[in-house]
Amino acid sequence: MDHGASTSSFPVRHKNLSVHIKESKIDIVICSYDDQFLVIATQIGTMGTIMHARKEEGMLNTPTFNVSVIFGKRDEPMLLACARQLIEHISNSGSSKPLTLSLGLKDHSVEALKSIVSAVIENRLW
Amino acid sequence: MDFDPHASTIESSSADGIVHEVQNLGINEESSTNITCFSDVFNDIPIHFQIICFPKQIYAWIGCQTARFGSLYAAASTRPNNIVSVTSLLGGTSDNTGSGIARRIVLKTGVPVTLACNIPKDSPMLEAHVEKKLIQKLIFLGYTKSKPQAVTS
Repeated sequence: MDHGASTSSFPVRHKNLSVHIKESKIDIVICSYDDQFLVIATQIGTMGTIMHARKEEGMLNTPTFNVSVIFGKRDEPMLLACARQLIEHISNSGSSKPLTLSLGLKDHSVEALKSIVSAVIENRLW
Repeated sequence: MDFDPHASTIESSSADGIVHEVQNLGINEESSTNITCFSDVFNDIPIHFQIICFPKQIYAWIGCQTARFGSLYAAASTRPNNIVSVTSLLGGTSDNTGSGIARRIVLKTGVPVTLACNIPKDSPMLEAHVEKKLIQKLIFLGYTKSKPQAVTS
């Protein structure tokens, strides 16, 4: 995994890394804004499908989450599952910020998506 | 459209202090993404820019005073005739400040753009300044739309 990170004087922190899955490289960028996280993972040179995930405020002890595609493929449930895992991790870490997740992938296999989720969590900014 | 993904030299800061640049290229040898962050000041208002260059797309964020994400827009050339279309993805409407900037970046660079910005409405001078700075930086990074070849008969 190769990393680059932001300097402290710019108000948005970011990390830029690459992971290799099945001889294919996936570039991952993680950014932390005041009110949101942005995660981009791409193999195809574009941002791909963009999803938005947020925790819903409710009366129950267990939180619920809303995950939706805002641009791109709406028929790939594994992409939504990826967003769902990450927003839950964000919530369990104590942050209530929503997540914008962008996945531009050739390979939508479970293995690839699990690797992306692991890499993002390992390099998280929350 | 001519683009050099390795055009990543660091500029020296402006001597008169109007532009404060924190340029973080975030490049490693294997990554295809180039991240540029810099800041500016307009009428005592701090403006922050973040540009992420993918091989076939640009993502940009513009923060006015704060590091709030703002509204998210996508713009690209679409059918018919490759006219530039823009849509709001998060927050905002197609009439908001960011949508016009996103659309004009696509016109200038020829590359699909995703733009997030929290610029206030009804600030035309600020909007023009911000757009000019962003486009200047994109040109510096190597984004120019190839001029059409002259037709000779």
